[in-house]
Formats: sequence, C-alpha cells, structure tokens
Amino acid sequence: MADALFLAISVLTIGSAIAALEMRSLVYGSIALMGTLGGVAGFYVMLDSPFVAMFQLAVYVGSIAVLILFTVMLVKRELIFKKIEDPKRKFAGIGLMLIVILALGAVIMDSGIKTISTDSDPVDFREIGGDFLTYYWPALILMALILAGSVMGALVLARREDTIENEQ
Amino acid sequence: MSVIAPKFRLGYFLKGIFDNAFWILTIVTLAGIPAIQIVLFYLELPVIDGELLTAFLAFTWLFNPTMQIPLIKALIYSDLFRIVAFPGFGFAALIAAGTIFVERKMLAKLQLRVGPFYCGKVEGILQLAGDGLKLISKEIIIPAKADKPLFWAAPVLFVGTAAAFVALIPVAPGGWVVADLDVGLLAVFAVIGFFPIITILSAWSANSKFPFIGGIRALHQMVSFEIPLILSLLGVVILTGTLNLSEIVESQSSFPWIIFMPIGAIVFFTTMLAELERIPFDLPEAESEIVAGWLTEFSGMMYGLVQLGSYLKLYAFAALFVIIFLGGWTGPVFWPPLETELITEGIPIPNYAGDPILTVNTPGLPLLDKDPNEWVLQEQGELVYTSGQLLVSGVIWFVLKTVGVIFFILLPRGVFPRIRLDMLLHIGWYKLIGLSFVNIFIALGLVYAGVIGPGGIL
Repeated sequence: MADALFLAISVLTIGSAIAALEMRSLVYGSIALMGTLGGVAGFYVMLDSPFVAMFQLAVYVGSIAVLILFTVMLVKRELIFKKIEDPKRKFAGIGLMLIVILALGAVIMDSGIKTISTDSDPVDFREIGGDFLTYYWPALILMALILAGSVMGALVLARREDTIENEQ
Repeated sequence: MSVIAPKFRLGYFLKGIFDNAFWILTIVTLAGIPAIQIVLFYLELPVIDGELLTAFLAFTWLFNPTMQIPLIKALIYSDLFRIVAFPGFGFAALIAAGTIFVERKMLAKLQLRVGPFYCGKVEGILQLAGDGLKLISKEIIIPAKADKPLFWAAPVLFVGTAAAFVALIPVAPGGWVVADLDVGLLAVFAVIGFFPIITILSAWSANSKFPFIGGIRALHQMVSFEIPLILSLLGVVILTGTLNLSEIVESQSSFPWIIFMPIGAIVFFTTMLAELERIPFDLPEAESEIVAGWLTEFSGMMYGLVQLGSYLKLYAFAALFVIIFLGGWTGPVFWPPLETELITEGIPIPNYAGDPILTVNTPGLPLLDKDPNEWVLQEQGELVYTSGQLLVSGVIWFVLKTVGVIFFILLPRGVFPRIRLDMLLHIGWYKLIGLSFVNIFIALGLVYAGVIGPGGIL
C-alpha cells in the first residue's frame, strides 16, 4: 500500500515537473508546478511529518504558486519569449540532469543511508518547536531580525514620494 | 386552436413507455445487477452483533424491529456517513441552504422589503427549491474563447476545496469530525490557501474582462488578508499548546477564549468577512461596478456550484470562529441528570404485584451510543451522561453558536457600503496585522505571567 502510494506520488511529482517545463501554455505550466509542490507535500506526509507538509501546502502551493500565476497572467507571453527549437540543447540538458542525478544518488547511496534502520517514533513537531525556543533561540532571533530588516528594506524601496497619501 | 403536442397519439405514447421499460429492464439485467454484485463483492461490510452483514441479511433486518437499531447504528458510525452526511458535506450543505434563505429574508426585512414571498404559501419558504430547480434546468453557456478544461474544473474545485475545509471542522464531542488531524489548524490554513488559486484560474479561463478584474481583486484581497487571519489565531494556539481543533474546543470547557482574546476575535471576524467576499469587502463581486466579478461568465449549475461552495465556506468559517473563540460544543447539557443505574441497567418495569419482570433501555439513548455498554462520565459531580446524550447536547450548542456567528456575518450586508480597494489593502496590511500582533503579545503576556496556558493558574 505504502509502495503504491509512493509510486503514485512520485509519478505525480516528476510528471508534473516535466510538464511544468514542457508545456507551451505558461498558465498550465504553473498549474503543473503546483502539482510538483503538492507532490512534495505528499512525500512529507508519507515521511510522518504532517507539520512540514501543511506548511509546504500553505506556503508553496498557497502563496508562491499564486504569485507565479499572478505574474504569468500579467505577462503577454508572445512579446517576450521566442520558442527556440533546438534538440541539441534539449538532449544536453537531459544528459546534464542524468549526470547530476547519478552523482547525487551515488553520493547518497555511499553515505551509509541504506544501513540505517530505526523503529523509533517520528519526531513530534512540539519537540522541534521547544528546541527552537530553548537551544537554538539565537539563530531564531537572528533569522527574525534578518527577515524584518528585509521587509523594511522592501517597504522603503517600494515607497513612492509622488503618489498622493491616501485620504480616508 | 393551438395544442401543445399536435401529433399526439395514445398509441405512440404507450409505445414510448413500453420501449423505455424494455430497455431499462434489459440494461438493468445485463449490466446493473452484475455491477451491484461486483460492488458488494469488494465492499467491506460491518460485523453487527457478531454476525457479518451481507446484503441478504441487511434486507432481512430491515423488517426486523430488534435488528434495526444495530443496523442504523452501524450506518451512523461508518466513515461514509461521516463524510457524506453528519459532520461532513450534508450537514454543512443543509446549514448553507438555510443561510441563503435567511439571508434573503433578513436583508429584505432590514431594507423594508418583502423578500421571497410567493413560492410556498408561508413566507416564500420554497423559494430556495425553486431557485435550485431553475439553476439545474438552465443551459450552461461557455464563452467561445474560454479555456475550457479550467473553466469546467473551477466550480468543481471550488466546491471540493470548500468541502475539504468543512471536513476539518469538529462538530460534537467524541471525535465527530471527518478528518481529526494533529495539525488541524495548519490544515485549515493550507486549505484556505487554495481558494485564491481557484478564483484566479477561473477568472483567467473565462477570457473576459469583468471576471479577470474581479479575479485580480479577489487575489489582492485574499492574499493580503490571509496573513492577519493566520496571525490572529496564533494567540489561541500559544495558550492551548495544540493545533488539534478538538483539543482546542476541550480546552474551553470552563470559559471561551474570546474573554481573553477579544482583539484576536475581532481581527479574525474582519478577515473572515474579507475571505468570504462579503460586504463590506465584496470588491471581487461588486455588482454595481463589474457585473458579478469573477462569477460573471458562470451560468446554470456551474454558478450554483460556486454559490454552494461559497456558502459551505461561510459555514466552515463561522464554525471555525465558534471552535476557536466561542468554545465549540461546550455548554450545559440539556438532558436531565439521570441515576447511574437507570442508564447503565435500564428502567425496571414491574408487574401488578410489584416484581420487576423486564427492564428497558432509557428511551432515545441507545440509538446514538456507539456501544451501550460503555458510558461516558461527565466530570461535574456524580452526573452521568451517555455519549449519545453528550452528542445531542453538543450538536445543539454548536449549531446555536454557529447560526449566531452566521447571523453576524450576514448583518453587515444590510448596513455597510463597499469600501475602496486602497482602504481595503490599508486595513489588511497595516491595521489588522498590527492588531493581531497585539493579540499575540497579550497571549504571551498571559502565558509568562502564569495566568493561563500550560501550567497556569486557570
């Protein structure tokens, strides 16, 4: 059962990733990208971490994909892109992908991941949260400060002097 | 003289009836009965009273009064019933239908109109059924240059996402929820995130100006109000220390969280109005500006499906408000407290001499209890309630509170005008996010002061 589910999710993820690259229509391409991100969320569920899966859905499918769709819909694709039919580049890309996958696979398989076998329960997300708030709190606060700084920077950059302040 | 069917002959009519009957019988015999048998072969049927239920036994027991209650009980406690009927789709759709009718009547009364009046003799009570029939019988028109697969898929996806939202809502104590997730609140956020995608895709696929403007507005609105929506609920999560919605309800057995988090409740209510595209935040459907917004090109039952989905969403949001801020199903139990022996052993019925000859179960209870031998003891004092009693009382409280919240969602439609887009974004990005941070700080203060939360005073 788990194997069939794993196969189905893998087919969904990889198939929609290929579709996202190969589709002519940009909107359908971004829908396929959503399928890929949702498939990754399915992998997280299978790995007993529903917390991460839900954040994957909420952040990547719910926000990032919406931003991509929004951008795609505001773009007139005929004006910007010219489809270059070049089979050489395609095969070169596929070859490069295969090399990268084989190299990464060899590294991962060689790292002793096959010998790990554990029956312990999956880590509860409460423990992760507790670790973040106790042991790793400097890192958490540093990340928060960096994010806050970048948001403030974006606000400063986006501020325009020539617009009328909103009158309520 | 005009006749409706000028070439009518009784012979043709009878021939038509017989032809239809012949083909129906043939097809049922050749395809229908084998299909039913194949389905029955693969269906996992329950074990009732130590006997495996087969189709033959089910038909026999339908006419056996002593076996009907176990049969119905097995049906009620099956997963299919949960998904289709009670805490799931059917219950929510019923409340949604009631909401549509009450909304029309109530708006009419607020604006000194009559509202639906003629369908059904009493206050137009059949107007909803009439509208449903009209929507089903209307032709579905698809714009010529529309993107057909997406345009067809959008209403179905909208209803499906709304039903997924409904499935996460616990309705009564004892696990009456379709999907009881450990990360239920996060799942709610994940499901809410799908609505803007569907909206913008349907708006784009219609290939028309008004839907596209409405879709872009909906996207602005939903994306900017999702952040205060998530932040306003985090205060309760900090206080309860759980994301499971049932546990959040059980943490409010003595007081609802709205007492400590009124700011969070106000922020959540405002973002709820915006996510539901209701007045004063109905810019995506502003009918005086852009026809019907992103719904413009939908016709017939496609429009009906989108409406059904949006009212399911309304129910789910109101129920979420009730669960998180108003204590869900908690409330005084309606049933009179009975003696323990009366429930566990039944009522003894004596004969003329006073000797008990038989005992009967307390009426009304055994139908809703999963197992008549397992009793749930209520905490206060010695009062004993069965799980069926708690179920009935919990559902009544839950529905009462949810209907109250739905009323407050409907009310602004008769009162407020529509707000401008820049004011909407200003409210969403400045005021609501600031207020929800204030709410989070209140929750943190309560936790660190040791008032409530894990290991607190209350």
